Amino acid sequence: MARLRTLPPDGEQGDRWEAQLRKGALEMAALASLWKSRLYGLEIIRFLENHSRLVLSEGTIYPILNRLKAEGMLTSEWVEAEAGHPRKYYALTESGRARLCAMAEAWTVFADGLSRLLQPVLAMEETR
Amino acid sequence: MTEKQEVQAYLAALRAALGPVALGEREEIAREIEAHIEDSLQEPGAELAAVLERLGAAEALAAQYREGLPIRRASRSRSPVTLLRGALRLATKGVFGMLVFFAGAFGYLMGGGMVLAGVLKPIFPHNAGIWVTKTQVVSAGVLTPAPPPPAHEVAGLWFTPIMLVLGALLLLATTAVIRAALGASQRLQAYLRH
Repeated sequence: MARLRTLPPDGEQGDRWEAQLRKGALEMAALASLWKSRLYGLEIIRFLENHSRLVLSEGTIYPILNRLKAEGMLTSEWVEAEAGHPRKYYALTESGRARLCAMAEAWTVFADGLSRLLQPVLAMEETR
Repeated sequence: MTEKQEVQAYLAALRAALGPVALGEREEIAREIEAHIEDSLQEPGAELAAVLERLGAAEALAAQYREGLPIRRASRSRSPVTLLRGALRLATKGVFGMLVFFAGAFGYLMGGGMVLAGVLKPIFPHNAGIWVTKTQVVSAGVLTPAPPPPAHEVAGLWFTPIMLVLGALLLLATTAVIRAALGASQRLQAYLRH
């Protein structure tokens, strides 16, 4: 155990941090994709791919939808489709909408602040 | 294996790995993933191997569904076993969880002990009770041998109802505290994620 821990010092921590960040961001993204209309899982995945550069492993989005539903942010409904099988559509609940609004505001403030903070870092990298 | 068999094998592995998830929810997850695979195969140039790869191994997918499940389920339960298991899970996440777990275990042990002592009083009338001297409470509970004089028992037959009521209140309070703590940790985690 101890040896394993010493092997990847910063890399592993950095990766885990990015994974956490990505997961949190994905929840927000999933909520945002449902802002205008209800969608089913694959539509949400395609929507996120088309409207943002979020690359997601498709397996990630379904457990997130499941949890958001358990938290009362989403409702779901099975709808018959001409494809021959029903599809599970998700829609925002009132509290989902409220949370998304709060998240959008907090996110914007947070991202603006961080971008400003990181500007000198990025500038330095360019000159190197 | 035909494509259909391959899909069924994937779904079977998913169901198996979803073990602790309630049956109804498990079936709904499997149906949703099946619909996802079928819809993905309709897209131009889609290949089953690639579709399954993007979903990830069935075990890894199931693990994402199971994440946080014990705590979530426990916060809605009233069973001491489930609640304590949820608290134990929470205890692995930090000091708050450890406090909840130890407080919960203590509450259930004390509460259960008090109820037991109340029940034992009619069976061992001389060994169950509350003993005091002139100045202090010496002991309470079920003791063999009973504390010798000058300590004497004061509760008498009231011991049973007192212990049953206090024990039950303590058990209920412990249950409420653990549920509230598990629920709060859920909200806290949800908050921290955003």
